[in-house]
Amino acid sequence: MNPSIIGQMAVSGALMGLVYALIAYGFQLTYATSKSINFGQGELVMVSAFFSLTLTNLGLPYWLMVPGGLLFGALLGLVVERAGVRLALEQKSEGWILLSIILGLFFFSAAENIWGRDDRPFPTPISADPIHVFGVDVTRLELSVAVGVLAIMGLIELFKRRTLLGKAFEAVSADRDAAELMGISATRTVMLSYALSGVVAALAGILVSPITTVGPTMASALILKAFSVAVVAGLDSGFGVVLIGMALGALESLASFYLGSGWREAPGLTLLILALAVRPTGVFGKAVIRKV
Amino acid sequence: MLRQTLYGSLLLAAFGLHAGDTVKLAITGPFTGGSAPMGASTRDGAKLAIAEINAAGGIQVGGRKMKIEIIERDDEAKNERGALIAQELAAMGDLSGVIGTVNTGVCMAGDKHLQEKGVTKIICPAAGSASMTQWSKAGVKDNSIFRFAAHDGIQAAMVVEEAINRHFTKVAVIFDSTNYGVSGRDDMLNQIKLQGNKLQVVAQEKFNIGDKDMTAQLLRAKAAGAQAVLIWAIGPELAAVSNGMAKIGMKAPLIGGWTLSMSNYIDNAGKNGNGTLMPQTFIEEPITPKAKAFIDGYHKAYKVDRIPSAVAAAQGYDAVLIFAAAVKQAGSTDTHKIKEALEDLKEPVKGVIATWNHPYTKWNPADVTTHEAFRREQVVMGMVQDGRVVFGNAADKARLIKEAAGTPAKAPAKPAPKAKVKGKTK
Repeated sequence: MNPSIIGQMAVSGALMGLVYALIAYGFQLTYATSKSINFGQGELVMVSAFFSLTLTNLGLPYWLMVPGGLLFGALLGLVVERAGVRLALEQKSEGWILLSIILGLFFFSAAENIWGRDDRPFPTPISADPIHVFGVDVTRLELSVAVGVLAIMGLIELFKRRTLLGKAFEAVSADRDAAELMGISATRTVMLSYALSGVVAALAGILVSPITTVGPTMASALILKAFSVAVVAGLDSGFGVVLIGMALGALESLASFYLGSGWREAPGLTLLILALAVRPTGVFGKAVIRKV
Repeated sequence: MLRQTLYGSLLLAAFGLHAGDTVKLAITGPFTGGSAPMGASTRDGAKLAIAEINAAGGIQVGGRKMKIEIIERDDEAKNERGALIAQELAAMGDLSGVIGTVNTGVCMAGDKHLQEKGVTKIICPAAGSASMTQWSKAGVKDNSIFRFAAHDGIQAAMVVEEAINRHFTKVAVIFDSTNYGVSGRDDMLNQIKLQGNKLQVVAQEKFNIGDKDMTAQLLRAKAAGAQAVLIWAIGPELAAVSNGMAKIGMKAPLIGGWTLSMSNYIDNAGKNGNGTLMPQTFIEEPITPKAKAFIDGYHKAYKVDRIPSAVAAAQGYDAVLIFAAAVKQAGSTDTHKIKEALEDLKEPVKGVIATWNHPYTKWNPADVTTHEAFRREQVVMGMVQDGRVVFGNAADKARLIKEAAGTPAKAPAKPAPKAKVKGKTK
């Protein structure tokens, strides 16, 4: 088969895979500090995208709309933390699983009622015309996804390593109790991680919407893939999710080309099962030794 | 307590009086979701006709004038919702008729309940062949289900004809995995055979509802050398196909079912939709006085400058006029008598799409066209251009203007010059 077609499929897929990676990264952020995951993350992506669309429709330019959307995402993240996660964590229960799902359902209904059930186009100043690079067609829109994903992940990683607040974040991730003894408020740090996770979700929504359109169900397919990526890569490697995300995206589109579009999801799921069987902590995950 | 009872009985009395005085007409369809542009436009077009009839005092039924009362139900394009709604409507007892349904699957799930009770329904604008052929397959002797839409058989024939007329030889057939898409593919392949195998199908590809990335399917079609894409699907996915084609630099026109005129295709595809061709029963161009009045009326009533689905709106409008004519002829609000009248409409009905002369005849299970109003000549080829649907072939436009002016319709002797389509020069 034509190598340029293979290249095309792999590149298109890998670029979409970066969106999976970004959402998976959102899981990692909250998991690091609180060992909890927002199962309604997909709804955060969707609601933030709708909110950003509303901002655009109000006449806000793109460069103002993006921070607005991200801020909204952060607020939503805080809402999830306050309403769903904190209570459960205080009681050391696993209630956050159900609570975050319920909040997600609530956001979904709210979006349906506020914005309707239709898929809508998401205007963007970035052109969707293809550019020809090494025999492969990519659009600026797809490249903007890659740039946006890598930029925000880079920024957050830098923040974690270089700033005091970031160090506190790392400290709580490493050992919550020890960090608290050092005077770091674990609750605040968990809040921060949820806000950041919301920002990441909002950015994913803003980046992917011009390609996929905005609708209440826009994230339901994305979120499953993101889970797979997070699980396969492991829940504590930012670098891992990028790599696995791109690989999964490329694999998916190659599969839909060679095996037929009905088999699109098959390789990803196979990978997931294999990863769970062989390396339950993820390919890039650290094996945790629990001393009792 | 006494007061409450009094109010209650007053209310009941008022309602009872009210019910006897109106023709109850149910309008169903998806008013939300991916099919909403068609469902909502059908409803709004129908309501426009109803408003006009009611403003003129109502329908002459026997000795008195009766207004039309609308019963609106949103089936959300879901088969199970459609079945529930049909059961509810079938159980009402005093319902005169039903107009609506966009999705073939919803027809399949619900219409049997109406047919059992003999409730007259005009399917509008669901076009899938199966929603009528199910009755001939079942061999029902007496059918209360009619259709007012250019069924897929006509549309598929036109799509294939158009591809041949534009001198394409290699085509890709792409469809979605729903009832609608798969039966559309079968219709198209069948038509290619019927029209002398002039088109070679170099690729057959399908996708699912909700798919956004069509790169794999399109690359296969492109690699196989397809000059045109014959397609059967619904708005959002069609847009994903057009956008995907632009991305991989595939310059082949999309020709397919009338869903290509849905606003959620046109809007989401943007400029990538230009040149797309599809059969249409109505084009939103004020070429005749009747069309102008309808378009202006719609824009004004619903405060839009483009009808979300002009075809659905015009069909909804004409379907109501035909239904009203049947009520008048039957001289009754009884749904069975209205059915009899529909099968033998004496007076021509002047609609916005055409003047309908005896649109239906007595049901014959061996021939579904007895309950189909549209023939090939009422359908034209539309083309997307800068966010609107315009006439794809100038000859169609000229013919319609002539017909409206009163000159008898005659098929053009030779093919008229075609409008430009992207990819044709390639």
